[in-house]
Amino acid sequence: MSEQDEYRGFAPEHDAPIPYMKRIRDYYLALGYGEPYRWAHYAEVPFQPLERPLAECRVALITTAAPYQPGKGDQGPGAPYNAAAKFYAVYSGDSAVDHDLRISHIAIDRAHTTAEDSNTWFPLPQLRRCAAAGRIGEVAARFHGAPTNRSHRTTLETDCPELLARCRADAAEAAILVAN
Amino acid sequence: MCHQTVSLAARHLEENGIATIVMGCAKDIVEYCGVPRFLFSDFPLGNAAGRPQDPQSQAFTLELALRVLEAAPAARTTVQSPLRWSADPSWKLDYSNIERLSPQEIQRRRQEFDRQKEIAKTIRDEPAAAQ
Repeated sequence: MSEQDEYRGFAPEHDAPIPYMKRIRDYYLALGYGEPYRWAHYAEVPFQPLERPLAECRVALITTAAPYQPGKGDQGPGAPYNAAAKFYAVYSGDSAVDHDLRISHIAIDRAHTTAEDSNTWFPLPQLRRCAAAGRIGEVAARFHGAPTNRSHRTTLETDCPELLARCRADAAEAAILVAN
Repeated sequence: MCHQTVSLAARHLEENGIATIVMGCAKDIVEYCGVPRFLFSDFPLGNAAGRPQDPQSQAFTLELALRVLEAAPAARTTVQSPLRWSADPSWKLDYSNIERLSPQEIQRRRQEFDRQKEIAKTIRDEPAAAQ
């Protein structure tokens, strides 16, 4: 019996989180784009404990999804990448009602998922159920859309302060940020 | 890009007194940036809030996020959801994997990338479209 056989309870080597930064770097190098992207990276991380039980907190939801825009091409489900559906400024919507948000402008995994069910990236209905059940205090009056920008400067100096201002205006004490 | 954006936003909110939890599927990007709390779902990008057409997995995923939000003991707390996308993990080999693409496909993707970049630039440069 080889050593490999002895440890056959192990998962396959590739059954680990996808190394996206390496994949993306190798991908764009092979496509002919020379300078690898410099990802945001910090040694220090802030930490703000909740000051009250979650059942008393007002919680905001932040998404990178975009409102559906008729006339801006295929936005799914199953749409190919669609840069025409991108947005470049923070937007907000009423948390009390449902919204048609799409992710065709984002490099999701199109080989293995189709963006057919917005609850997999925009859990506003589920968050409202949590509020109704008393799990959280309440959902903040607005949810917020964060533009995905290659420019760190734009994200850090324009979009992040805008998101903060809107969360503060709604007196949110906590925020759930859903990435795509 | 998307995981980086929400990570930077989470840091900024946290620095200013708002407790945050990031829900995401790209573990390396979020942890490299560094966030206070992170619920990682080992799912294809686009499913950070649960499995499609599976309300139970969506409710479970959000509940897990809330538990991390209230119970994380320190910054850089990552919890990995126990949910599995598929019993077969081979889907993880596909995303942007240059080793799986033919030279013709690489060429086609380059042209498509340039085309999409041009479209994005047009939108970004239109002041009204930014609203």
